[in-house]
Amino acid sequence: MTKTVILVQTIVGGLGIGSIYALVALGYSMVYRSMGLVNFAHGSIYMIGTYFGVIFYKGMVAGLHLPYWAAFIVGILLTAILGVALERLFRPLANLDLMLMLLGTIGVGIMLDNLAIIIWGAEGFAVRSPLSSKPILVGGVALVPQMLLIIGVGTVLMVGLQTFLSRTKVGKAMRAAAQDREIASTMGIPVNFTNAVTFAIGSGLAAAAGILAAPIVYVNPAMSAAVGIKGFAAAILGGLGSIPGAIVGGLLFGVIEAISAGYISSAYTKGIAFIIMVLVLMIKPSGIVGETTVEKV
Amino acid sequence: MKTRTTLWKTIALIAFLALLLAVPKIARNDYQVRILNMTGLYILLSLGLNIAQGFCGQINLAIGAFWAIGAYTAALLNVNFKWPFWLTLPAAMVVAALVAAVVALPSLKVRSHYLAIVTLGLGEVINIILVNEEQITRGAMGIPNIKRPSFFGIPINSEQRYFYLVLAFVILGYLVARQITRHRFGRAFRAVRDDYVAAKAMGVNTGFYQILAITISGVYAGVAGVLFAHLNTYISPDIFEFRSTLFVLTMTLVGGMGNLLGSVVGGVLVILQEVLRTFRDWQLVFYGLAVVLVVLFFPGGAVGIARRWRERQGARRAREEEANTVANPPSEEAR
Repeated sequence: MTKTVILVQTIVGGLGIGSIYALVALGYSMVYRSMGLVNFAHGSIYMIGTYFGVIFYKGMVAGLHLPYWAAFIVGILLTAILGVALERLFRPLANLDLMLMLLGTIGVGIMLDNLAIIIWGAEGFAVRSPLSSKPILVGGVALVPQMLLIIGVGTVLMVGLQTFLSRTKVGKAMRAAAQDREIASTMGIPVNFTNAVTFAIGSGLAAAAGILAAPIVYVNPAMSAAVGIKGFAAAILGGLGSIPGAIVGGLLFGVIEAISAGYISSAYTKGIAFIIMVLVLMIKPSGIVGETTVEKV
Repeated sequence: MKTRTTLWKTIALIAFLALLLAVPKIARNDYQVRILNMTGLYILLSLGLNIAQGFCGQINLAIGAFWAIGAYTAALLNVNFKWPFWLTLPAAMVVAALVAAVVALPSLKVRSHYLAIVTLGLGEVINIILVNEEQITRGAMGIPNIKRPSFFGIPINSEQRYFYLVLAFVILGYLVARQITRHRFGRAFRAVRDDYVAAKAMGVNTGFYQILAITISGVYAGVAGVLFAHLNTYISPDIFEFRSTLFVLTMTLVGGMGNLLGSVVGGVLVILQEVLRTFRDWQLVFYGLAVVLVVLFFPGGAVGIARRWRERQGARRAREEEANTVANPPSEEAR
């Protein structure tokens, strides 16, 4: 194997993991943009969303073995409903002091994590990929089918989100409400409704990420913390509140992780990714795509 | 009036201290004293967090990592070089302060949410190093056989004796924190917290105070780490994971951020957590629920509730006085 082949393989793997981070980061950024809320329960929503999908795929609900794509859709819908319920719960938290927000949402996250342990057990399980596990060879580069599925579906979802936000009436209303709450509501935009839709979409994307990632990771309640923190780091890296920023941040974080795992040290993968994030923020404090705002405390 | 309240306060304080001194005798078993010892350690951590975050507005999600640095410095020096407690203590304070100062550097550039993820990330990096540098830290296996301290020849070998050591450090830590926050540093910290731009314009060296505040929180966490290492005699990286930071943050907010007494009151949470253990699997569900309820209904924490109550009392007294003056207007001569 030549060096370029290994590099291409590493980058494809990084883009796969990065798509997962990007989908999670989108949830953070969308909710932050529209409600001013940093939702630290988002990692737990990702975990619950994964379970909501894979329990139908693995026949854990009344022995029902749905095909992967159907379980994928059911999981997204159920998690979106959970998101709407959480939006109602978090509404009083929006625009509170950051630390109170952090604690309030983390409190909900702790509840969700431990309810998951009570319902599904702490042990977790592996999920079989619906595609073959044999790598496809393209010009000497071995590509895992599930990885390609993640990148493909992830891209479709991100493009779909962008189209929804810029073309549809609801999407435009959501953007208006995010930009200026008061003016939007005087223009007749039901701000609470658009926030609920935002939360539903953010949660649905997290579920999509989790169900896509399920065959390449080990599904267990503890998965919420790792991806929750990395998704937030990705959103910050790109610029919190920016949709393209979340995508760029997520993909970049995934690629950095893959490269440092492949070339530097697998034990320090996460550490190196965090350090690069800190360095980027030192150079550009508002994130890669984020707008520079002089925030007067 | 004023002197009478001061007198009552002094009596209450003396009674409280006497009660604290008697605690090891009242406690039924070592386990209960151990919980109180842990409460003391968490109060120290919370004081540190409070100085950085409550007074200076510098979000510090690396406090658990600073705690780890203190504990590991003490443990390694004690196990490898047989340094006693009284030598590991200053060493760990210095090392924790240096690490904290480095972690504080990004605060010069990033603020708010960004500073939160930066300190969180650097804290994670420290934990990853502790897990992976196995030749030095023994990795996930942890470090056993850390020696208990002694005080002028008296071995502090029981939970009860350790209680007095912890108590002394908590009182000392509280008094030092009070000195720091009441005088020049405290004023500068609050200026940086309340209006960063104005503070800078007034000639406050904001960057210096930001780093100083986080460094002080590192020293507090370092002391708590040394005390923990010699108390538990065994440490491993999982003890200091991000959830320990979260716990310190929660107790500070429940007690009252920006008020040193809040850190002490927040210590109740350590005991509450032990009580919740009877619910087994549901323990953390209830804990999460309690946190959510506190944030939604008592965002000012316990100290905030006390303050609101006092203000209401004050307002009522003012109203009563006003009613009196309206009822009996002062006569012409009295004026």
